[in-house]
Amino acid sequence: MDIARLTVLGGLLGLDGTAVGQFMVSRPLVAGALAGVVAGDLAQGALIGMILELYLLVSVPSGGARFPEASTATVVAVACAAPFQGAGAVPLAVAAGLVWGQVGGATVDMQRRWNGERVPRPGASDDLVRRVPRAHLLAIAADFLRGSAVTGVGIITGRPVLGALVPHWPLGGAASLGLLLVGGAVSAGILLNDLGGFRRRKVWFTLGLGLGLAGSQLL
Amino acid sequence: MSASPSPSSPPFVRLCTPAAVSTFLRSLVIQGSWNYRTMLGSGFAFALLPVLRRIHASEPEALKQAVERHLEHFNAHPYLSSVALGAVARMEAERADPETVRRLKTAIRGPLGSLGDALIWATVLPGTALAALSLLWLGVPIWGAVAVFLLLFNAVHLGIRVWGFRAGVRAGREVGRILNRADLSGWTRRLEPVTVLLLGLLVGTIIGGPGGLVVSGTPWLLLSALGFVAGLLGGHRTWRPAAVLTVVAIGVFSLWGGIS
Repeated sequence: MDIARLTVLGGLLGLDGTAVGQFMVSRPLVAGALAGVVAGDLAQGALIGMILELYLLVSVPSGGARFPEASTATVVAVACAAPFQGAGAVPLAVAAGLVWGQVGGATVDMQRRWNGERVPRPGASDDLVRRVPRAHLLAIAADFLRGSAVTGVGIITGRPVLGALVPHWPLGGAASLGLLLVGGAVSAGILLNDLGGFRRRKVWFTLGLGLGLAGSQLL
Repeated sequence: MSASPSPSSPPFVRLCTPAAVSTFLRSLVIQGSWNYRTMLGSGFAFALLPVLRRIHASEPEALKQAVERHLEHFNAHPYLSSVALGAVARMEAERADPETVRRLKTAIRGPLGSLGDALIWATVLPGTALAALSLLWLGVPIWGAVAVFLLLFNAVHLGIRVWGFRAGVRAGREVGRILNRADLSGWTRRLEPVTVLLLGLLVGTIIGGPGGLVVSGTPWLLLSALGFVAGLLGGHRTWRPAAVLTVVAIGVFSLWGGIS
C-alpha cells in the first residue's frame, strides 16, 4: 500500500520539477521529508533528503540541460530504505537515489522528445486554438504518469536489493555518514567555484566557515 | 524592482484584466509541454490564450493566426517568462504589428534566460537550500528547516513572477527599460556573497556539528577536504565522477561486508 502512495507522491513531485509551478517541493530536502512521512520514518527520510540535497545542490532544472531527476530519486531512495534500520540503509539508499536520478533524468529527456512530436506545429491544423491547450495538458498528464512509473519501478527493483545488502553493511553510522559526506564535499566545492571561486570569495567563505564551526560548538 | 505605470495602460485593463489573471496563472505551468523543438513556445501560446481569446473574441481567423505566431520557438527562465507574457499580452491588446511582437520576444528571451539562471538557479536556490541544510544540521526540527527553505525561496519566486508580469503589462514594448532599471544582475552580484557565506556556514556545521566529520574521524575529514578541493578546482566536470565513485565505494563496502 505504501508503494502505491509513494508512487503517486513521486509523480506529483516530478511535476514540480519542471512542468508545474517549480515551487521546489521537488528538491530532495522537501521530497525526503514528505516521502519519510508516507513511508513511516520521517527522520530517516529527512536524513536521506538532506544528503541528496547536498549532492544535488549544483543540479538545477536549467533550460534544456539534462540533469538527474531529484524528486523521483529521493522518493525511491527513502522508500527503499524505509523497511530497514541498519547503518547501511542510508548510504545504500543514497547510492540508489544517485543511480535512479540518472534514470529519471533520461526519462525526462524522452518525455521532452515526445512533447516535441505532440505539440501542434504552426499551420498544421485548423483547430489550433483547441489543440494547443489539449496538447499542453496531455503533456502534463504524461509527465505525472512518467514520474509515477519511474518511482514505482525504482521502489520495486530497489527494495529487494537493499534488503539483500543492508544486513551485511560493514561500517558504523558515523563512518557511513563520513563516506557520504566525501561526495557531498565535491558538490560544495563545485558550488564555491560557481559563485566566484575561493580566491575571490575567501572572506565571505571563511567568515561563514568560522560562524558554522563556532555555532556548532555553542549548540 | 518597480514598474512605472504607463499612461496607455487603461485600454489593456479594460480589455483584458480577468484574462490577464488567467494568463498569469497559466504561466505557472508554462513548462508543461517543454520540448527541444519549440522549448517554451507551446507553453507560451497556452498561457497567452485567454488574453488572445478576449482580444479576438469575434475574429476566429485572427485568433488562430495569433496562436500560430506564439507557438514558435521561445525560451526564457520560467519565472521571468512572465515578463515576456505581460509585455506581449499588452502589445497584442494594442494590436501591435506581429513582426514588432516577434522582434521583442527575440530580443528579450536571451536576457530573460541568463538573468533568471544567474539569479534564481545559481544564487537564490542554493542560498535558501544551504540555509535550510545548515539549520537541519544544527538540530532545528525538520519541518522548521523545510518551512524556512520553502518560504524564503517562494517569496522570491512568486515575487519575481508577479513583479515580472505586472512590469510587462505596464511597459509593453518598453519592457527592456524596466528590465534594465530592475538591475537583476546587480541583485545577483549582491546576493552571491550571502550564498557564499551560507556555504561556509554549512561546511562549518558539517565539520563541527552533531554527527559531523569530526565525529566520523580524521580519514573522512581529509577525504572530504580533498573532495571539496577537487570540486573547487574542477567545477561541474567533477560532479559525475564523484557521484559514480560514491556509488562504487558503497557497492564495494557492501560486497566486502557480504564476503567477510
